[in-house]
Amino acid sequence: MSLKIGAMFPEVFRHLFKRPATVLYPFEKNTVPARLRGRPVMDPDKCIGCKMCERDCPAEAIEIRQESETKTDDGKVKKRFSMTLYVDRCAHCAQCEEICPAKPDKAVKLNDFFEEAAFNRGALKIVYK
Amino acid sequence: MDLFKIALYFLVYPGLLFLFVYSTFVEWVDRKLFARFQNRRGPLYTGAAGLLQPIADFVKLMAKEDIVPDSADKPLFNSVPVLALAAVLASGLLLPVWHFTAGMQSATSFDGDIIVMAYLLSLPTFAYFLAGWSSASMYASIGAVRVLTLLFSYEVPMFLAILSPAVLAGSWRMAVIAEYYQQHPLMLLWNIGAFAVAVVALQAKLERVPFDIPEAETELVGGTFTEYSGRKLALFRLLTDVQMVTGAGFLAALFLGGFPGGLVPGFLWLVVKTLAIVFILAAIKAVTARIRIDQMVSFSWSYLAPLALLQLVVVILVRGYLP
Amino acid sequence: MSDTFVLPVGPQHPALKEPTSFRFKVDGEYIVDADLRLGYNHRGIEKGCEARTYVQDTYLLERVCGICSNAHMTAFVQGVEKLMGIEPPLRGLYIRCLMGELERIHSHLLWLGVAGHEIGFDTFFMYTWRDREVVMDLLEMVSGNRVNYGMQTCGGVRRDLDGVQITQLLDGVAALRARTPYYLNLGATEPTMVARIAGVGKLPKEKAIELSAVGPTTRASGVQFDVRSDDPYAGFVEHIPFTIQTDNGCDVLARVIVRAKELMECYNICEWILRNLPAGEIRVKAPRKVPEGETVSRVEAQRGELIHYIRANGTDKPDRVKVRAPTLANWPATLYMLRGAYLADIPIIMAAIDPCLSCTDRMAVISDVRGGEKVWDWETLRQYGIEFHRNRGIKP
Repeated sequence: MSLKIGAMFPEVFRHLFKRPATVLYPFEKNTVPARLRGRPVMDPDKCIGCKMCERDCPAEAIEIRQESETKTDDGKVKKRFSMTLYVDRCAHCAQCEEICPAKPDKAVKLNDFFEEAAFNRGALKIVYK
Repeated sequence: MDLFKIALYFLVYPGLLFLFVYSTFVEWVDRKLFARFQNRRGPLYTGAAGLLQPIADFVKLMAKEDIVPDSADKPLFNSVPVLALAAVLASGLLLPVWHFTAGMQSATSFDGDIIVMAYLLSLPTFAYFLAGWSSASMYASIGAVRVLTLLFSYEVPMFLAILSPAVLAGSWRMAVIAEYYQQHPLMLLWNIGAFAVAVVALQAKLERVPFDIPEAETELVGGTFTEYSGRKLALFRLLTDVQMVTGAGFLAALFLGGFPGGLVPGFLWLVVKTLAIVFILAAIKAVTARIRIDQMVSFSWSYLAPLALLQLVVVILVRGYLP
Repeated sequence: MSDTFVLPVGPQHPALKEPTSFRFKVDGEYIVDADLRLGYNHRGIEKGCEARTYVQDTYLLERVCGICSNAHMTAFVQGVEKLMGIEPPLRGLYIRCLMGELERIHSHLLWLGVAGHEIGFDTFFMYTWRDREVVMDLLEMVSGNRVNYGMQTCGGVRRDLDGVQITQLLDGVAALRARTPYYLNLGATEPTMVARIAGVGKLPKEKAIELSAVGPTTRASGVQFDVRSDDPYAGFVEHIPFTIQTDNGCDVLARVIVRAKELMECYNICEWILRNLPAGEIRVKAPRKVPEGETVSRVEAQRGELIHYIRANGTDKPDRVKVRAPTLANWPATLYMLRGAYLADIPIIMAAIDPCLSCTDRMAVISDVRGGEKVWDWETLRQYGIEFHRNRGIKP
């Protein structure tokens, strides 16, 4: 192919009159897709305490602790568990969500929150009770 | 009254204050244009539409620590930025904007000031060389050698190119040349070739893409300016901006018909014509890649210098056959 | 007359995206000799794999590299599936292949931008990366993340595609297909760009084979070597049509052409997969413990042939995982190309092989003048580090 001096100039000149492609984050935000890998959220009402999520997490970001033990009316023992999530270790792989065996609804799910930066370390340790 | 006018000329317009302020505005225009060419936004938040961004960058650099390498040649290392800035500011004073009469010569507009202006504009290049050489760093040394090689390739075509309008107008004084073209605007078309060569050579003098070989960021870290930081680097960047203003003003005075009309109309013409040249420079910067130093030398001696020579021959013939 | 001096490029240098240590013997603007030291990005991932289960290892190996993340995951998961003796269903295999090709599109567009930046052509960089946002958004829509997709698992893939996503994927791929020829055209007609990339970094065909270069680097020298056609995986050749793309230029321009041709081929493959996705499951259940055995798994990553060696011992943790990244195979060829080149061509020659140091790194053992042990354990290494810094006046 023959060489053209200033081959890119027509395209570049046209873009003087087009809207810039930059998104003015954080004043404008792009919409995130439906199943974004965000932050894991745990619902203690649904958790059965099998600790599969703690075992399978590749980053050791989850700790499950038993909070309380109550006897229900028909003699069953109902245990309640809490999850401590270390946000700075979480790799957002969703293995905890995948492996949770709770039925009919999983106890751990990833939401679509992605702005994880924080100003102090304490904010990166979240306890779901 | 005359003393007051001289003080105004040297300190305010087109002296220090005007050059400082206008060069930051020109840098803003250049950055905004470059960004828009690339479908981005450019400076946005400092001041209205980012107008204060170059000043903010300057202030930030002035506040940073100024580190001088142990093995650098300290007197040279420290004085080079200041001397180069002084040379470029002095060249700004020679632009024919106001306070001159075509008939009488004065301290800032005299026969041969075109040569003095070209000389003052090439002093910064030697300053870049000395800056790199005195840094005692191997990236800076390679950059310094490249600066001189670059100078060797663009300086001759540039000088030949700026001689063409002078020959056609029959004078070595910028004010008279500008006035000649104001009276015969069609004669400007004879100088198109020289204008193209001069713009390309100005891009090389300012060391912008495709000729930013001495300061090639991805090859030589910082090139000639590797060891400069803090205040001295701020002065070098200011120097580049002021050089863009005075270089563009120089080309506008020779090739685009100068700045007629006295103080206020002259100022407006200066702004319009220098921004037109800055637009061309920004467009060249946006559409090219950086070429190698050996390719630069062969390009300028195979294309630029012959074109400038041809243009000179054409202009001499036209002058000879003028009624 | 030898006026050579040693110019260090790296470990920190604007030309390098990741730390490597080069030492160039330079004579004016010519490079007389080149030497390389790796090891600055070594993170001990292979050792880390031995302490984690196979499921955790898929996520760990994904993070070997940000750009080839899916390729590493695919290679590992394929190897473990071979050891387990299971095979993913056809739909899962197609989606696995689709992710690999989408990642290749994103990587090649990234590479075009980086190559433009290395030669000073920032506008080209901005435009290619703006177009790359299209494929990044598609990847985010499918997998939930822009890099490190987490899509592969032993037995198949983890997420499915629905009709809306397929339509959006087809639209995105069509938009990119319309834009890519512009960049190829520009690379061949912009005079300053052609001046920088044509005739630079010559690697003749015999040398490419002798120095065992892989990937687009060797395909640009006319060598017909691509794992997708030589050792097909993930449904290639058997189900999914694929043609190998080569060029005979042997220089950086040829590498640009090969990558642009591969981009067009990626668009073809993606469209074929999206139009011919079979119905069915996307994964089969995989056991936790892997029976004893060892296997080698090969994948055509963006930069070339990627090899994973996995040895299992019957437990749920692997015995040994070894990763041979394509860039490691390309370094001898790069050193050959650098000798005798111009100083100004260093960034573009290095960028032309698409170096990914994160994938590559190996520990380099420099001979110990004290004649000590060849293998140091964790405690010895730690003590050495503390002593080293204490000698320089830094308190541990």
